[in-house]
Amino acid sequence: MTEELKTKLTQIEKTYTEKIHQTASLKNLQDLQVAALGRKGELTELLKNLKDLPLEDKKTFGPLSNALKTKLTTAFEQKQTELETAAVNEELNKTNLDLTLPAYTFDKGARHPLSIAQKRMTTILSRLGFVWSEGPLIEDNYHNFDALNIPKHHPARDVQDTFFIKNAKEDKFVLRTHTSGVQIRAMEKQKPPIRLIAPGRVYRKDDIDATHSPVFNQIEGLYIDKNVSLADLKRDLSVFMQGLFGQKAAVRFRPSFFPFTEPSVEVDVKCVFCEGKDAGCPVCKGTGWKEMLGAGIVHPNVLKNCGIDPQIYSGYAFGMGVERLAMFTLDIKDIRAFYENDVRILEQF
Amino acid sequence: MKILYSWLKDYIDLDLTPAQLADKLLALGIEVAEIQNTGADFEGVFAAQIEKIDKHPNADKLSLVTLKTKDGAQRVVCGAKNLVEGDIIPLAKVGARLGKNVLQPAQIRGVVSEGMICSADELGLAQNRQSGILTLDKNLQIGTDIKTLYGKPDTIFDLELTPNRPDLMSHLGVARDLSVLLDLPLKTPQIKEIAGQGATLKINLPAGQEGCPRYMGRTFKNVNNIESPQWLKDRLSAMGVNPKSALVDITNYVLYDIGHPLHAFDFDQLESGEINVRWADAGEAFTGLDDIERKLDAQTLVIADGKKSVALAGVLGGKPDSILPQTKNVFLESAYFYPPAINKTSKKLGISTEASQRFERGADIDGCQTAMALASKLISEICGGQASEVSDVYPVRYQAQEVIFTPEEINKILGMEIPREKLKQIFTRMSKDFNAAGGKWHFKAPSYRRDLNHKWDLAEEAARYYGLEALAQGQTDYSNATLYFAENPKSVDLGESLCNALAGLGFFECKNFDFLSAKDLAAFGFDKQNMVEIANPLNEDMVFMRPSLLPSLLKNIEYNQRQSRADLRLFEYGKTFGLQKGYPAESFVISGALCGLTPRVKFFAAEQKPVDFYYLKGVAAALLGGFDNISLRPSAAAPSYMHPKICADIICDGKTIGCLGKTHPAILKKYDIKTDVWAFEFTIKGLDKQFNAQVFKPAKEVGVYPASRRDLSVIIDGKTAYEQVESCLKKAGADNFTLIDLYQGKNLPEGKKSVTLRFEISSPEKTLTDKEITAFTDNILAALKRDLAAELR
Repeated sequence: MTEELKTKLTQIEKTYTEKIHQTASLKNLQDLQVAALGRKGELTELLKNLKDLPLEDKKTFGPLSNALKTKLTTAFEQKQTELETAAVNEELNKTNLDLTLPAYTFDKGARHPLSIAQKRMTTILSRLGFVWSEGPLIEDNYHNFDALNIPKHHPARDVQDTFFIKNAKEDKFVLRTHTSGVQIRAMEKQKPPIRLIAPGRVYRKDDIDATHSPVFNQIEGLYIDKNVSLADLKRDLSVFMQGLFGQKAAVRFRPSFFPFTEPSVEVDVKCVFCEGKDAGCPVCKGTGWKEMLGAGIVHPNVLKNCGIDPQIYSGYAFGMGVERLAMFTLDIKDIRAFYENDVRILEQF
Repeated sequence: MKILYSWLKDYIDLDLTPAQLADKLLALGIEVAEIQNTGADFEGVFAAQIEKIDKHPNADKLSLVTLKTKDGAQRVVCGAKNLVEGDIIPLAKVGARLGKNVLQPAQIRGVVSEGMICSADELGLAQNRQSGILTLDKNLQIGTDIKTLYGKPDTIFDLELTPNRPDLMSHLGVARDLSVLLDLPLKTPQIKEIAGQGATLKINLPAGQEGCPRYMGRTFKNVNNIESPQWLKDRLSAMGVNPKSALVDITNYVLYDIGHPLHAFDFDQLESGEINVRWADAGEAFTGLDDIERKLDAQTLVIADGKKSVALAGVLGGKPDSILPQTKNVFLESAYFYPPAINKTSKKLGISTEASQRFERGADIDGCQTAMALASKLISEICGGQASEVSDVYPVRYQAQEVIFTPEEINKILGMEIPREKLKQIFTRMSKDFNAAGGKWHFKAPSYRRDLNHKWDLAEEAARYYGLEALAQGQTDYSNATLYFAENPKSVDLGESLCNALAGLGFFECKNFDFLSAKDLAAFGFDKQNMVEIANPLNEDMVFMRPSLLPSLLKNIEYNQRQSRADLRLFEYGKTFGLQKGYPAESFVISGALCGLTPRVKFFAAEQKPVDFYYLKGVAAALLGGFDNISLRPSAAAPSYMHPKICADIICDGKTIGCLGKTHPAILKKYDIKTDVWAFEFTIKGLDKQFNAQVFKPAKEVGVYPASRRDLSVIIDGKTAYEQVESCLKKAGADNFTLIDLYQGKNLPEGKKSVTLRFEISSPEKTLTDKEITAFTDNILAALKRDLAAELR
């Protein structure tokens, strides 16, 4: 009896181990598991009969049969995992999607390149502590000219070809020729220290060509405090230009003339394209420098006109063209492109 | 303003290349627009005559030219097309120098060429614009050295001057500025006075100080107004002036030489023996040298004899008294006119001359004498004749403003450390009237520098002459500077947020000029009376300041449709203008225009729908959803440029701030647009109240109990607006529902429509039971029945 039982256990182990190994489908594996370990399974039946054995044999066969049950159960689980993984992999491998087909398109819009250029500049200046200030586009003679020390009947006033308003009640309105009038409006309202920027549209009666537009944008900057010198202007503009063009940016001052600053300077920025190393550079024409803005120390008459004592306070002012910067950095050669609003251009930004 | 290098050297010894000089000028703030080389920079080029022109045996486009030269016949190969037998031409023989190049022996297509026939370009004669071979005077002797026909090699600098520096408008002036910069002596002109005999005309200055503060005059009798000598003609030619006759040329020469404009009158045309500098009579007629007759007004300064005006002072000479080659007797004027008076006349009459440009900027009142002396000397040398005494009427002597300052003040303005000695040297070179003896320095600018009135002006001069390249970056310690916060203007942050939202919704930002034409106004039905009009528009398309951004956007739509773009979503943010009680008023407006298909997310094969009103309404909701004081209402009276039935007002706090809808088909026709265009426009006024950094909106709590969903279909009258359904439901207590279907047609009674709504029903306190949910929907249904006679479908 015991020998027979032993043979039986050995046979069950051998048969099922082999069959598990050979099974290729989950269904067959399940049937096999029922046949071995189900309620009426071969091993289950065998275990049921153990209770009829003599105590001595029970002690021997009990542990043997249980060990076999555990071993087969583990083998079934392993095989099941193996078959499931294979099934998933097969499913994945069957997938055939052309990943190179065109995507869903999100029709995006965009801000205008001039808005983007202006934002770049105002963001940097805001971080340097300049506060945004505004003024009217239709300005009066006083704020656009007189208060800025631009005398009547002087060629300095004629340099800025002005659009005049025809039908207002008083004959004193013009389209502002620069953003500098905002300086005056700010200084009339506020005592120093003042640190402001005034971006916005300005108007000049220029014939339209590749570099002239009757409407264009400027950013005005003004800083009034005690002891502000031309050297401070140079430092602050250098920092600003580094913000725009990177750490290597450098500025150069050249003497110039604006009625509302004294001394006045033109500010050149080192050519960011060739750094002055290419005699054939199309951007700076080999000079190594690119004219960027006008600036200077606020004229004492301008301070006086706003009730600020030039013996106590001093300050600097600068004004730069947004189009000029945008043309320079975006390689746009014709200023008219900004006002044509061709979507094929606009969608590039 | 042109400067000839050799002429400049009359006044200062310079040893700089043209490029080096340009750099020095730039350092002074004088931009050089162009550098042009002139004169004959060649050797060994002689006149020759074309005797015979044959075809080159081996090349169709070349000729074989036989020339008569001083050394006999020579043959050269030439490719020019303007060769004519008998012409005198410049021949460069082998060994000749053209600029830096020496002509080498050449064999061209198998034929030896014994030289080269030259064009103006090949000879480096930049001023001669003749193309092809340079043809010379037919009477020129064969063998003449061509370089003798042209001046020595020279350089012309074209300068761009700022309007504050009239003193730089001459060779003397530029040399003066360089002498301070380079610390070199200025070779001031030493002019021998010509002794005069007898009196000249009587000079009266009734116009006063604001007309003519100084007038000098002198008569020259029996002059010989011959052709000017070559040196004079050459210098004027370099200035771009055609030489005329000696007298005219001399006045021009003095202007370019020392900067003072002179005027010469034909003495025999002047009547009554007097010169009056007076204001014109209103309506007085005057015919200028330009042959144009003008009617003058009482603000025009004129030079008159006893009877009539003979010149527009400082601007333009008169025709009858102008200098002609046969002129025998001359009256010469050297005056100083009040700059604003000249500027006014020049602008009003639209005449800008070399003289007016100098007088309106400010000539040198004490330079009148030098100019008179220089001209007198040249006239007597070239034209002979007998000069009268000089009459000089100068009632109030010019006194320069004295500037009292310290070198420390100069350095403080600049943030520089210019050494005291250097400052002293600069100011000494600038003015004879400079005294640095005491603690305070005293400076009086010379009469040609009226722009130097206070220490800031002197600081600029110090920086210019010392050199701005020495300016280091400032070291001011801002640690004690007051920090202050100021909010951005509302228009900035609000505008930025709306623009970014629109860009995110698929719109492209446009920027248009602020101008419209009368045609635009008429098309849109805007009343001209209320528009801001420009007095001097650039052209007829740019006359009015726009009261709406939509006309510009329609033009943008039309433009882009022409570029084959059909689906367009454009917007602009900017100001609109109008007159309010006669004064210009501006407001910030945001506008959009759409056409074509909606920018729905699309796969390559998926269909897109055309833009419609509800799409536009969705844009508005996305843009303005965050503002709880905004609502839309069908327009009772749509603007004339909108579809009368498809337009809704945008209401902010009860006030209409704009509208959205379909544009009127009649407008589109006027703008050549063949598709529907949808548009919106509103001012941001009122919106900005909510857009404030200091206003914080508290967040609402969200419920923790699950919501149930119920759909309800009811049949209502076909004319009932959805808005009525909405308000009925809200009144009944439903706050979370959506329209999921709308049906009209088959299986429904005539004139009825079916509305299907989906409700989300929940409670903040508990999970609702079926019974409670049914009670909710029953209540809703009852309300719909009561208010809208609805029936459950």
